[in-house]
Amino acid sequence: MELDDFKNRLNQKLETNHLHLSERDLSVLLSKKAYSVIGKIKRSLWIEIISCILIAGIFAYIGISSKYRAVNIYFISFTIIFIPFTLVFVYLLKKTNEVNQSNLPIINNLQSLVKLLDEFIKRYFQFTMALIPICFVFSFILGYTEKKPIIELDQLIYKYKPSSGIAVSILIAYFGGLTFCTYYFTKWYLKKLYGNYIIELKNYITELKDAA
Amino acid sequence: MTVEKAFIQLLNEHQKIVHKVCNLYMDSHTDKEDLFQEITLQAWKAYGNFRGEAKFSTWLYRVALNTAITFFRKEKKTAFIYSTDNIPDIINNEQDPIEAQTKAMYAAIGDLSKIDKAIVMLYLEDYSYAEISETIGITANNIAVKMNRIKIKLKEFTQQYYSNL
Repeated sequence: MELDDFKNRLNQKLETNHLHLSERDLSVLLSKKAYSVIGKIKRSLWIEIISCILIAGIFAYIGISSKYRAVNIYFISFTIIFIPFTLVFVYLLKKTNEVNQSNLPIINNLQSLVKLLDEFIKRYFQFTMALIPICFVFSFILGYTEKKPIIELDQLIYKYKPSSGIAVSILIAYFGGLTFCTYYFTKWYLKKLYGNYIIELKNYITELKDAA
Repeated sequence: MTVEKAFIQLLNEHQKIVHKVCNLYMDSHTDKEDLFQEITLQAWKAYGNFRGEAKFSTWLYRVALNTAITFFRKEKKTAFIYSTDNIPDIINNEQDPIEAQTKAMYAAIGDLSKIDKAIVMLYLEDYSYAEISETIGITANNIAVKMNRIKIKLKEFTQQYYSNL
């Protein structure tokens, strides 16, 4: 028997209603939570935006209340840096909200989803990695130019009396270690969140294009 | 009538489309329920863009297939293993050759990729290649090529299915 002969039979079987939903049940479904990847990105962006605002607030407080000039400048500067970062996330959220692709043809839907995910991952990664050198360069310059002694730091130096070579080596190792860990952790985290999903979507696109 | 009420009414009338997609793309009852909910939500969100240029059923197929193909969940998904035990209300009498063939074909379709399932589903609905190409987004010629490949896959699967009996 050919496929055509099964059409009606298969259609009947496929249409089987396991859920038995009434109009009222359907109405209730409209207020439920979505699982879509767009919804997930929106949630992630909202978390980033709220975190940025909270961190900026805490940094502003520390920046204003600290007695050390270097700490004042460092934290106030970071408060200012967090403003454009927050705006970038707001922009990404706006772009994500504009994506309503579920009524596009399947290949276009897949392409727009992959594009959005790639953009999100790229920006998220850039944001995380950009913070490391900014953080280090700032802390180094400000620590170097700080007039007031930082008692806790001085106590540590007096206790171990490291030579300047060892101190620089420790700083380089710390910077290198942090960069290495942040780089690979962020890559792993993003891959875990979206990596396999993007590969799956790209495979579907390839499969569709393969017919050509 | 409110927009929501009109949408619910239309969805209720075309509910079988969503059930078909859920039955074909999901194995367990819970997964089918989750996908049904997701399709309903996505259709509701996209309903504002529905201009009535295409039939509601065609539009709903597109939304439902897009949602099923890109369905995303945080928890680790187990690979979809098609079980003939989950074929809905099918085969009460294994001796009936037509029923047995239907079962084999159903299993064969369940074994296809998500994209191929979408094409088969529209094909089963008697959509022309031109209409299928509008939903999938590739040319009608490419749909014809894919459909030929799918038919070969289905034939091979059913032959193997019978040889394993």
